[in-house]
Amino acid sequence: MSRATRKLLLPGAIISVIVALVLAAPILPLPDVRGMDVTNRFAGPSAGHWLGQDEFGRDVLARLIWGGRASLFIAVGSALAAAFIGTVLGLLGGYFRGAVEFLTVRASEVVLCLPPLLLALLVVTILGAGTWPLILALTILYTPNYARVVYAATLQIRALDFVTAQRAMGTHPLTILWRTILPNVTPPLLVQMSLVVASAMVIESGLSFLGLGVVPPTPSWGLMIRAARGAMEVAPLLLVWPSLALAGTILTFNLLCDRLQSALDPRHVTAGGALWLRRSPRRSGAAGVTGNHRAANPPLLEIRDLSISVEAGRQPLELVHDVSITLNPGETLALVGESGSGKTLTSLALMGLLPDMLGVSGGRMICAPRQGGRIDLAQLDEDGFRGLRGGEISMVFQDAAAALNPVLRIAEQLAEAIRARSDLRGPALHSRMVELLRQVGIPDPERRLAAYPHELSGGQRQRAMIAVAIANNPRLLIADEPTTALDPTIQAQILRLFQQLKRDTPEMGLIFVTHDLAVVAEIADRVAVMYAGEVVEQGPVAEVFARPRHPYTAALIASVPEGRAERLTAIPGTVPQPHAMPPGCRFAPRCTQTRPACSARAPEVSIPAGGRMTRCIRWKEVT
Amino acid sequence: MFDMPQEAPPLVEARSLGRNFPARQGLLGRRRDVWAVRDVSLALARGETVGVVGESGCGKSTLGRMMLGLDQPTTGHVVFDGRDLADLAGGERRRLARRMQMVFQDPFGSLDPRRSVGAQIADGLRIHGIVPAGKVRSEIARLLDQVGLPATVASRRPHEFSGGQRQRIAVARAISTRPDFIVADEPVSALDVSIQAQVVNLLIDLRSELDLAMLFISHDLHVVHHLCTRIVVMYLGRIVEEGSAAQVFDSPAHPYTRALLAATPSLHPRKTEVGGGVLPGELPSPANPPSGCPFRTRCPVAEKACAAAMPEYRQMGTGWRAACIKAGTGNTERRDMA
Amino acid sequence: MLRYIAYRTLVALFLVWIVVTAVFLLLHLIPGDPAELLLSQGGIAADPEAVAALREKMGLNAPLWQQYIAHMGGFLSGDFGESFRDGTPVIGQIALRLPRTLEVIAGAALLATIFGVPLGTYAAIRADGKADALISLLSSVALSTPVFVVGSVVILIFAQELKILPAGGFVPFSQNPLEHLKLLLLPAGTVAIALWAVITRMSRASVLEVLQRDYVRTARAKGLGRSRILRRHVVRNALIPVLTVLGLEMGTLIGGTVLVEFVFNWPGLSGYLVAAVDARDYPEVVGIVMTISVLFVFLNLVVDVVNALLDPRISLVKS
Repeated sequence: MSRATRKLLLPGAIISVIVALVLAAPILPLPDVRGMDVTNRFAGPSAGHWLGQDEFGRDVLARLIWGGRASLFIAVGSALAAAFIGTVLGLLGGYFRGAVEFLTVRASEVVLCLPPLLLALLVVTILGAGTWPLILALTILYTPNYARVVYAATLQIRALDFVTAQRAMGTHPLTILWRTILPNVTPPLLVQMSLVVASAMVIESGLSFLGLGVVPPTPSWGLMIRAARGAMEVAPLLLVWPSLALAGTILTFNLLCDRLQSALDPRHVTAGGALWLRRSPRRSGAAGVTGNHRAANPPLLEIRDLSISVEAGRQPLELVHDVSITLNPGETLALVGESGSGKTLTSLALMGLLPDMLGVSGGRMICAPRQGGRIDLAQLDEDGFRGLRGGEISMVFQDAAAALNPVLRIAEQLAEAIRARSDLRGPALHSRMVELLRQVGIPDPERRLAAYPHELSGGQRQRAMIAVAIANNPRLLIADEPTTALDPTIQAQILRLFQQLKRDTPEMGLIFVTHDLAVVAEIADRVAVMYAGEVVEQGPVAEVFARPRHPYTAALIASVPEGRAERLTAIPGTVPQPHAMPPGCRFAPRCTQTRPACSARAPEVSIPAGGRMTRCIRWKEVT
Repeated sequence: MFDMPQEAPPLVEARSLGRNFPARQGLLGRRRDVWAVRDVSLALARGETVGVVGESGCGKSTLGRMMLGLDQPTTGHVVFDGRDLADLAGGERRRLARRMQMVFQDPFGSLDPRRSVGAQIADGLRIHGIVPAGKVRSEIARLLDQVGLPATVASRRPHEFSGGQRQRIAVARAISTRPDFIVADEPVSALDVSIQAQVVNLLIDLRSELDLAMLFISHDLHVVHHLCTRIVVMYLGRIVEEGSAAQVFDSPAHPYTRALLAATPSLHPRKTEVGGGVLPGELPSPANPPSGCPFRTRCPVAEKACAAAMPEYRQMGTGWRAACIKAGTGNTERRDMA
Repeated sequence: MLRYIAYRTLVALFLVWIVVTAVFLLLHLIPGDPAELLLSQGGIAADPEAVAALREKMGLNAPLWQQYIAHMGGFLSGDFGESFRDGTPVIGQIALRLPRTLEVIAGAALLATIFGVPLGTYAAIRADGKADALISLLSSVALSTPVFVVGSVVILIFAQELKILPAGGFVPFSQNPLEHLKLLLLPAGTVAIALWAVITRMSRASVLEVLQRDYVRTARAKGLGRSRILRRHVVRNALIPVLTVLGLEMGTLIGGTVLVEFVFNWPGLSGYLVAAVDARDYPEVVGIVMTISVLFVFLNLVVDVVNALLDPRISLVKS
């Protein structure tokens, strides 16, 4: 049982107790709810009357339980009726669309034009007060809610491929509705159900409180509160009991609703908060700028034995293991690997942008900033990183549509990036922005500055993203799959733009993260191939591609569909999961050249030639 | 139409297919025609694999869905084995579904997360009575085996599988009804390279084992090249070039095909800088297409005449056509890229 | 933008027509004769003569379409007929009391937003911390306690036990502004509590979601400071769904005024409705329900327009 499911137990148990109590009301040894005892009116709690007696001397506890019976009957009854009608309307409307949609969902939504309590009042005016008019009013009231929820869910699910697959299979539409769509709309339906019960109780008790709902002498919580108000000075406790019962029951249903939501739809449980927003005590001298005593021409970036772990659970789980990379000024390094290889995490770690639950768990990332000295990025906190971002290290993200703020103009997003690092203001700032957009090849930059991201095409958005990234002439530019979401002709344009950038700023180092070996061949000087969190091979692109020194690199190159061969060379099996890494070489289970020694222990790094490395013990024999 | 190198009538044929998704601008705005597919004619013979390539928005997926009858064409007809899909009533149409199946792009969306893999494969078997009820189990096992998965996975739910495994399951489901025709809509685009190769190989094997006609939709020219005998290149809803794989790849006739080939990165990069011939601009909006040839706004060899009218198809060889008034020109200067 | 506002206004007018028609249909399609239903009470059959007279008075003998035209005409000219109870025109009472109800609604929305958005944002930033747990608990309780319970308990505590606030009532603003606002605080504050809970929870969820968005990461990658990211990128974007929810909650808010005006003896339109329903004063009920429904549609229009000002994508999609 998952944590989210366990959390359902508490509200579930309370509701069971309440339901059991009101169901068992007739057989419980309770005093008669209508039995008056005027001489003992407003009597306090006693052995015979645990919660005391009301203004007619009736037993409060008995009235509380019977009142709950009336409230719950009305609320659950109308919730069920509305759920049934609304679900049918929503399913039909969502699946068949067109005229059916108009007749079902749109028609029922007319009710939503009226504020809910008013509609109930209107029905009560016509039909008079009482239990059944209330159920009718509440059913009318809540049917469109269900219809809407189910309709939205149906629309969403109907567009999914597995429903299309059913249609392609020749399944009867009603079967599809019943077997495929209904089970998938059940989660939002259940959530809506608990929400409606709570909301119906509010309206029912409100109407009863106004004297327009349940008719006396039938006990109801709303009526009890109404009566208790009149006797507030004499017996304030009479107000407290039904209030507690009512609020408590509604609270429990709301709680159930919340927890159902998180249990049924785990996506809604977002990772808690944002640690970077909280000011942390500065780490003691961490960002330590050490003396400039090394070689006169230090590498731009030197990563040594970098490990990144997820800090959830008892044992930290390593996602990136012992990565060592060096980047010189003006050099382009490609980090290439399949999904789950850790290439994006490595690049995010360089920017201090790892998700909250991940952290650097070992190693160093030595960076040589402009003003000299050396900084270990692994030791920086959020404030330390902020000083480097934009001006020293900058990043282009994969999905420009998501990486640009949709409600701000390009000019605003570009300006704030520039102003974070320079004092440019006014016309100078404007001309700098125009120059940047021109540099990244956006036509008509003056006008484009006033555009919102959604008004630009995909390619232009990626160009704008690049403009933001290079706004402050960073020394190190990290590009995380910048062309993956783009079409081939646009991808070629963006690749060309990167080549131009490299030419225009010969000192800038570029780390290009990609899964596409062909892109690596086009853009990079050196390549680091990652597999399952490790760099398995590194070296100059031409040499690595011409003569790979690791079986994984060789297999990856062979699996690229570019030759003329009929069949492709596939790598059998799948990438291992971080919690189930094979012992020894991580590629061994999928490797065609594996020997028992491969699985015995993790392979050491070998240096087949200057500037190259491989993590294979058999590189001499197999490559 | 043009000569097809085949004697038998085609298994599936699209005749001047068009699909309009009219968009209304505002409450009182004018209805605007947005043609996703326009005037597409295409025929597939039994056992033939045709690749459809083009960039996003070119209408290739809409074409695939219409060829299966999952979307109704605004104009034109789809004829399957001599029968017009539009003429078939619900029940008959559903019976015909047995013979045509689909494999989807997203391996995570194409399987119902709430039902076991076996139950989903069994659907087709039961609906069309492919095997007697008692033999459904063993048939599922056989199908799973055919796509390279152990029979024991049948009782598991989709979330327990990786992307590549799910795609195998989706393929098993598609072939369960013993179809004659499969539309594969970007079936390997969402997969990693090493897994992509597994699935492509699987499709190659099945195609020959089952004598399937296959419409393979992809934006990746290289994958299509491996799998397909004939290739259709689409741009803004229209077929701009169609021909055998060798013809289209070795001597592309349409400037767009040439640009697409040049733009696709290669493990063995050309000596010239990337994007020597990079295409400028982006795909025009289908709501507001250019006059005449849709490609002329980005075309390196466009001239005045291109804006006048949609170019007719020019016959470049047997079963090879291109919609360009200058088709074939410029081959020599870019011969090196192939 | 103007086109969008014009478009939304048109939609709102259409909705008003729907509302007026819906009220009409509800009155005429519910099974049974309205005149008879109105006159019968607790299963006692109504006097046939009285029913006939009422039918005549309500115009129920005319064909349905004529009744519909009369109904629409009455609505358009603001003529909702005369009250059954005292024979005065319904519109007079509406004009007198509507501003008072608007005061409660505006006060409640203001209070709820002022306290809701910052607290929700804070809870999101400190998600899973102690402050978050406390805010979450408070908002759950606030959300689950019906307004009339809150109102009654408020009176019990502040008026009866502590004696620091009056138990309700009304003084015109022109007479004594301070006392007026003091008395307004009770109903507005009571309605605000549930709305506050909704806004706080929604703000928290919305901020949490925005914090996960790529563009917040981009903002960090630019080297921007915390407060700037929070203001410009997080809260601004997070407000959009909060505002949508505020629009959806308008109905509940209006319903809340009905109960609260009753509890605190606030002589607004909503509380008056209760008396009208109680007396089954048909013209008054219809007039008030339609007025408030139009108000409801109008408030939603305001929310839509403000939302479009915050989110440039909206006006593009629909106009």
